[in-house]
Amino acid sequence: MNLTDDEKRILDGGDGAVARKCMEFLVAYGEVAGAEKLVDIDGTVDLHPGIFWVGKYSLTREEIEELINRGEKFKVPTFANKCVNPGFIYDGWEDCGTLPDSAPGYREKCLAPLKSWIKMGMIPTFACNSYLVSSYLPSVGQHCAWVESSAIPYVNAVLGARSNFDGCFQAAYLGKVPAYDLHLDENRIATVLVECTAELKRDMDYDLFGWAVGEAVGMDVPAFVGVGKPTTNQYLKMNSALATGGQVYMYHIPGVTPEAPTLEAAFRGKKPQKTITIGRDDLRRVYEMLNYGTSDDIDFVYLGCPFYTIVDLQKAAGLLEGKKCKSPVWMATNPLTYRAAVDMGLKDIIHNAGGTLISGACCGLINGEMPESRVIATDAAKQDYYITGVVYPKKLQVRYGTMEDCIQAAISGKWKGEWR
Amino acid sequence: MTEEKIVLKGRKVIGGVVEGEALVSKKPLMGWGSLNVKEGMVVERNHPLYQIPFQGKVLVFPEPRGSGGFNGYGLTRLFGTNPAAFLYRRGNNLTVFAAMNMEVPAVTDFDRDPTEAIETGDFVRVDGDAGIVEVFKKKK
Repeated sequence: MNLTDDEKRILDGGDGAVARKCMEFLVAYGEVAGAEKLVDIDGTVDLHPGIFWVGKYSLTREEIEELINRGEKFKVPTFANKCVNPGFIYDGWEDCGTLPDSAPGYREKCLAPLKSWIKMGMIPTFACNSYLVSSYLPSVGQHCAWVESSAIPYVNAVLGARSNFDGCFQAAYLGKVPAYDLHLDENRIATVLVECTAELKRDMDYDLFGWAVGEAVGMDVPAFVGVGKPTTNQYLKMNSALATGGQVYMYHIPGVTPEAPTLEAAFRGKKPQKTITIGRDDLRRVYEMLNYGTSDDIDFVYLGCPFYTIVDLQKAAGLLEGKKCKSPVWMATNPLTYRAAVDMGLKDIIHNAGGTLISGACCGLINGEMPESRVIATDAAKQDYYITGVVYPKKLQVRYGTMEDCIQAAISGKWKGEWR
Repeated sequence: MTEEKIVLKGRKVIGGVVEGEALVSKKPLMGWGSLNVKEGMVVERNHPLYQIPFQGKVLVFPEPRGSGGFNGYGLTRLFGTNPAAFLYRRGNNLTVFAAMNMEVPAVTDFDRDPTEAIETGDFVRVDGDAGIVEVFKKKK
């Protein structure tokens, strides 16, 4: 890699041993990835707090303390994505009824290993969709280092900033990241034209569309026509499914997303390498794959993947108001939206119906922790597909549908959702 | 008796030389919730490699898919369940991190699709530094 004089000095230990170790990681990573240089992060970092991508380049607690004692901070605005430490829940743990530790103070226990990161300047958003509540977003063209399936398409396609899936302590501390893949213009150009012939209306339609496209294009950069103007909730579903059914990190919606004022601009005037059509039959095929349980008796309902927005919570609380659930239902959001839901009385409505509002965690993240279940229901392709592997070797079936289908199942204990 | 031998040329990800039997997936591999790190096998429902151990095998696949938990492939090293080599058609930062953690020979960006040229059971010699993969086809 070609390093600047400043970067060479850091690598030679001129800024201390910890900075050198961080630079060693970025250089080793960049070389394996085929990057020619590092780029300064002028946007933001979004990282999984408390962990490092590559074990041998991990910093010890003492090394981080050393930085803090010297008054050092992350060089760029750095947000906490979801925390993957086992059992991490920010709010609602005391209502889950399954955790062995439901004592007050559980949150402090969860936060203890992350205190040093917060002292470094990490903003404790603790959400898979931290970008929705961060109060600070990168702008078009800025270089970032983010993580998370739904977030990477969001930062690249929707915001028009530039990020690979590599947010980490080292990038936040040095304010640099290897310049390759989505940092470079040529890798952001659409190569596959996706013509959607199905009418996408419900949030679920975007979830199914995202999965179908991901499966069909893998890591390619698609341009979508016929998908309308997705709402925030629809972007969340589509983006998480694009990066679960496949690994789409960048796409264009001509006339909607910032790097594609027109279809021609999405392809930079080149011809698509291939064109695919996604129709209603494709959505149905994905729906059948996700909604595969053989029993209609629902033991548990999980909602909030990606974490529910305040608009989702308003809708869900509206469906639950005055009702009593036969099946336990957990609804997950991010910690800041949780506060809003408390203030608006939504948490109480959900609670009074027998539901549980949690923040900062989902079932998959907390190792499949959930009420004893054979069949669960969810409205998220991502959670649906991963959860069976998370609880392996336990057997679990999943019913999949809209938020309404899932809440009806929670109230009645029976699955009545069907393709329509 | 002559053996059919195919040579693939690719780009080094991680160096080193190793030989072993191939385990090939035509379907992309996922990490989080789809991989049992301790037992070294895919537990993704609907996957052709479901519950087939890959420990010590030359693992060949088209590309990663899904979550950053793909790095679980790298963590197999901690449990000794890791493959002997990691060969893939195309990758991104997730395959990079997994390969850096796994510390076994890894090659990508081949002159032909490795999931077409290599079949499960073929004997494979991987030279990570040179980016050369020699494939000795299994007897039919």
